[in-house]
Amino acid sequence: MHRPTLDIDAEGRPLGTAATRLAGAATLLGLLAIGGSVTLGPQVGWSIFFRSYLLNYSYFVSLALGALFFVMLQHVVRAGWSVSVRRVAEMIAGTLPWLAVLFLPLLVPVLRRWSDVYPWTDPGTVQSDPRLAAKAAYLNVPFFVIRCAVYFAVWSWLALAGLRESLRQDDTGDVRHTQRAERRSAAGLVLFGLTVTFFAVDVLMSLHPHWYSTIWGVYFFSGSAVGFYALLIVLLVALRRAGRLTHAVSSEHFHDLGKFAFGFVVFWAYIAFSQYLLIWYANLPEETVWYRPRQGDRWWIGVSLLLLVGHFVVPLLALMSRYPKRRPHLLVVAAVWLLAMHWLDMYYIVKPRPWLEAGASAPLHATDALLLVGIGGLFVAAIVRRMARWSLLPRRDPRLVESLSYENV
Amino acid sequence: MDVAAHTGTVANPPRLAALLAEFASPGALVTAAEQVRDAGYTRWDTHTPFPVHGIDAAMDIRRTRLPWVVLIGGTLGCLAGLLMQWWMNAAGPEQFRWVPTFLQGYDFVISGKPTFSLPANIPVVFELTVLLAALAAVIGMLAMNNLPRHHDALFSVPRFRRVTTDRFFLRIDAHDPRFDTQRTAEFLSSLGAVAIERVETEEAPARWPRPLVVTLVVLAALALFPPLVVAKARLSKSPKPRIALIQDMDNQERYKAQQANTAFLDGRAMRVPPAGTIARGEWRDDAHYYRGQVAGDWALTFPPQIRVDRALLARGQERFGVYCAPCHGLGGAGDGLVHQRALQRDTPGWVQPTSLHDPLARGRPVGHLFNTITNGIRSMPPYGDQIPPADRWAIVAYVRALQLSQDARLEDVPPDRRAELR
Amino acid sequence: MASVAPEIDNTAEIPGRRAELITGGLGFTGVTDTVAAVWERPQPPRAWYIAFGISLTLLGILGAMILYLIVNGVGVWGLNNPTAWGFDITNFVFWVGIGHAGTLISAILFLFRQKWRTSINRFAEAMTIFAVMCAGLFPGIHVGRIWLAYWLAPLPNQMAMWPNFRSPLLWDVFAVGTYFMVSLLFWYVGMIPDLATFRDRATSRTKQIIYGLLALGWNGSSRHWHRFERAYLLLAALATPLVLSVHSVVSFDFAVSQLPGWHTTIFPPYFVAGAIFGGFAMVLTLAIPARELFGLKNIITLRHLENCCKIVLVTGLMVGYAYLMEFFMAWYSGSPYEGFIFRARAGGPYAWAYWTMILCNVGASQLFWFKRARTNVWLMLAVAMAVNVGMWFERFVIIVTSLSQDFLPSSWDFYRPTLVEILTLAGSFGLFFTLFLLFCRFLPMVAMAEVKTVLPQAALTAERHPHEHVPPTRAFDYNPDEHEPPAS
Repeated sequence: MHRPTLDIDAEGRPLGTAATRLAGAATLLGLLAIGGSVTLGPQVGWSIFFRSYLLNYSYFVSLALGALFFVMLQHVVRAGWSVSVRRVAEMIAGTLPWLAVLFLPLLVPVLRRWSDVYPWTDPGTVQSDPRLAAKAAYLNVPFFVIRCAVYFAVWSWLALAGLRESLRQDDTGDVRHTQRAERRSAAGLVLFGLTVTFFAVDVLMSLHPHWYSTIWGVYFFSGSAVGFYALLIVLLVALRRAGRLTHAVSSEHFHDLGKFAFGFVVFWAYIAFSQYLLIWYANLPEETVWYRPRQGDRWWIGVSLLLLVGHFVVPLLALMSRYPKRRPHLLVVAAVWLLAMHWLDMYYIVKPRPWLEAGASAPLHATDALLLVGIGGLFVAAIVRRMARWSLLPRRDPRLVESLSYENV
Repeated sequence: MDVAAHTGTVANPPRLAALLAEFASPGALVTAAEQVRDAGYTRWDTHTPFPVHGIDAAMDIRRTRLPWVVLIGGTLGCLAGLLMQWWMNAAGPEQFRWVPTFLQGYDFVISGKPTFSLPANIPVVFELTVLLAALAAVIGMLAMNNLPRHHDALFSVPRFRRVTTDRFFLRIDAHDPRFDTQRTAEFLSSLGAVAIERVETEEAPARWPRPLVVTLVVLAALALFPPLVVAKARLSKSPKPRIALIQDMDNQERYKAQQANTAFLDGRAMRVPPAGTIARGEWRDDAHYYRGQVAGDWALTFPPQIRVDRALLARGQERFGVYCAPCHGLGGAGDGLVHQRALQRDTPGWVQPTSLHDPLARGRPVGHLFNTITNGIRSMPPYGDQIPPADRWAIVAYVRALQLSQDARLEDVPPDRRAELR
Repeated sequence: MASVAPEIDNTAEIPGRRAELITGGLGFTGVTDTVAAVWERPQPPRAWYIAFGISLTLLGILGAMILYLIVNGVGVWGLNNPTAWGFDITNFVFWVGIGHAGTLISAILFLFRQKWRTSINRFAEAMTIFAVMCAGLFPGIHVGRIWLAYWLAPLPNQMAMWPNFRSPLLWDVFAVGTYFMVSLLFWYVGMIPDLATFRDRATSRTKQIIYGLLALGWNGSSRHWHRFERAYLLLAALATPLVLSVHSVVSFDFAVSQLPGWHTTIFPPYFVAGAIFGGFAMVLTLAIPARELFGLKNIITLRHLENCCKIVLVTGLMVGYAYLMEFFMAWYSGSPYEGFIFRARAGGPYAWAYWTMILCNVGASQLFWFKRARTNVWLMLAVAMAVNVGMWFERFVIIVTSLSQDFLPSSWDFYRPTLVEILTLAGSFGLFFTLFLLFCRFLPMVAMAEVKTVLPQAALTAERHPHEHVPPTRAFDYNPDEHEPPAS
């Protein structure tokens, strides 16, 4: 039986100038949306503005971090199946240096010591609160800034070194690139674990500085993994619409990505439930204080239930069978849903402001949506710009053949 | 190809059940299977030492329905877990009185958590889901495969023994519509088989071996014993205490309160505290407050800790109503309900409780009144163990107020209130 | 007879070429002969008898200690107020943890299509079953009135008294019970084809009948294999969340309390990682002698051992991460009780246990960063044993330090294990090894059918299309059902 050969270069050719124009449009849209939300700043209050920014920023940085994890993991375990999708993931991870720049606006409330964003930044609040004073050795502005610089330096290095190594292999096909990437990824994963944990602690957990949870880093990571797999599925389906990767990425790959999305949904639910159950069970006020505003009124009870049902029950049932996982047009619906649910998770984490008032504040602001479009536009632009320039497949990766020919169980 | 024949006895002549073709490699088998499928055979199968990749497609094996069975099993497990925990920990007996006691639910209140505490119930729900799903998978798979099936004509073919080691077989059943002994054998030879065998079967259907049947029946009978014993024990009553092999919780080797103990001179197991022992909080140094005495005489004034104000009188009134009024009456005239009842019943030897307005009672110092409440007097029992000292002083103050109420003069009424008198 | 084959190093990785998993040129026949030889030889090697004698002795000691405990009561142990849990629960968590590696190898590595698991999954699953049996022993005997242990089950009774389902101790009953049942089913079902192999190679009628009964009449039918494989996949998919849940439920025993050092949200994944860590160390501890003794070096190769070492390294790092997070949050929380308990762990009366734990867990496992350590079999064994010791001490440290020095200093008391407890721990190893040695002798130690599927000879394409130079590829189209038969 004659088998057609695969034109790898055609499958993975860069998107070209049309994509560059698209990236430009996305950048413009992003900047406009950010500008629009800035104009709303005085209206909603700057602390609300920066919290909306934090919400959407955390969302996109979690996607990029999920991508970085995926790339490093595939190298460390010497995976064969994922090679044809790895370049797209590398490009998502490659947005991390840009996200480092986009982090800078968040330093405004930190450096200006606004207590209704990060209470521990305000010296008055710290002085009058012995519990905050006790952790001032860690939660202080200079140390925070240094730590964030370190996180982004590490991530940018890992992402860019990985991308560059992979791109160089496109030309040479040298297996030493793969071996070097494996060694770098092994150390990289250790660094990743530590930096992501402390980033989540610094930027998200310290919004409520009295509260603490040792599983916080794992919780953030699990959500970011779900978001990443969903994003990758969406991008791959979009690329296939554009005529790329049509044969190199097949229903086998989608099946696997769907399996991973399913697995991480269950993992996220497990971590979220563990945290909830332990705090619910012991019923200690210093711990339940974080959950109270998230169940405090009708709106938030609804959000919590939506998170439970939408982020766990629905994807569990939808992705259990192989039927939707092998059909990209169905899988992409689940992926978009998961992306929305991951945003809801970030909303659930960032939005409540228990520190200030006992009751709830207005639960939704225009800045939430505008900054989603704003930061999202810049994020997508950064990815698309790379897709316009570089090959979408690791053309001469030694394990590419395996990736093109494997079959699922 | 030599077609070998096996089995059969004289009484039951062997009947051809199937033809078996042997192959040395999985690839050869798969190619052969494709050809057999294309030739239109329907009652046939292949046998391999391990699952061969691609054989499902070559044989057009339909996808099994087992996943649905597992889903049903898991759902049942989930529902069972939820129902069980709701019934056993949250369904109070009030709503379900019609259920026999030994099956009734009971709502536990623990740590103030809701009786149906879903977060705490999730672990057991999850485990039961997995358990029933796994059981469904295994039992379903075995049932769908018609296993266990210990009698199969295939096992009588000696070469077939290698099926579990390194040989691959293709079997076409004799009752396939296209089966023809000669033509099918030639067809199988043309597929590149290493050997072709005949599989023969006896007419008589397979029967379970006798010893096995007897063993199973005996075991089943024996297995009935434990539940019957338990049922009998549950349903019958016995005057004897229950059997406890290890007695140490039922009969603890320790001395109980009123037992004798010859180790001590007084023969008691209970030891009296040494003279002068005072329990914590029992140091009653203040004679005025605790005994109503000052310098050996009955106190004439209230102790300094007691502030006689409206609040004290209100308390005293309330306590008087609780403890004193049954006998002495609400007005203190000795006409309480106990006295009236005693009159009704004509209790022999009944003495009316003292009226507090009696000149004798009116003349008593407050310390004496306090002592009467604490230790009793004549046939009045002591109330010192029931009423704390502060409350006793409050009652004394109220008694004084009662006495004043029946023995007041015009000068006792404040001038600004005299107009109310008529 | 012990293997005389030299150690073949197949750990080299050339990207683009998958290393051979089964060395020595073994084909289907060779694999079956090698594994069945362990069972077919008339006498097991002498070392087996020596090991069996030792473990049977230890088993006897276990029985004696349990009998002594039942007759005399829990006072023969060193438990007191407030340290109401000591060796008993430490041993329970230790053994349950060890069992997790088997399920991970069977189920999770199966879902990840890791072919190297086929050489070790059978005896790893056996290890799981026996470890869970040892584990289940301890909650059973620590309840005091063991003969009333049936009260834990939801049985109807005239008092309408049901178990308290809100208690993690009861979740344990269901979790460990489910884990045992599912592992047993998974192990047995996977063994059916190999039991059939034994049946077909049996030399005596008795053996044929026994293995024939156990094999349920398996005849290798492809239609049966189809359902078998589906059931195997479904069991693997069920066992994966199960293994995560079981040790999480065990961790809930501690984490739902309010005790400093116990009540911390990272316990569930931390315990699971620790369980896999200890479990793989035990897999190495068993695999290394077994492959030497039973001549399985071509099937359980250096590559398999190296992969186990890497998993030990990764899970060791996860455990180290959890230590770091607990320590950091103890300070960050500002709770004086949390801070105290971590200082007490490192410098208090049980500091010797704490530092043993750190050295053995985090310290020893870091050696596996180096390829040298990952390919030297005896160094691997030393590290694996150190990890087992370290993981036992980890549970000891967690349980005893937090109980003996909790909120109220006037309630503190220290825990001194008695000889009975120490002998019971040793005896539990006797139970484990007795069962394991019996398994090695009488049951198929390696999943022969699964190993055959990963041999290069099992792939069809090499011989079906000998003239094509294009490597195996699928047909290029979108049809997602292309390689699936039509659904019924």
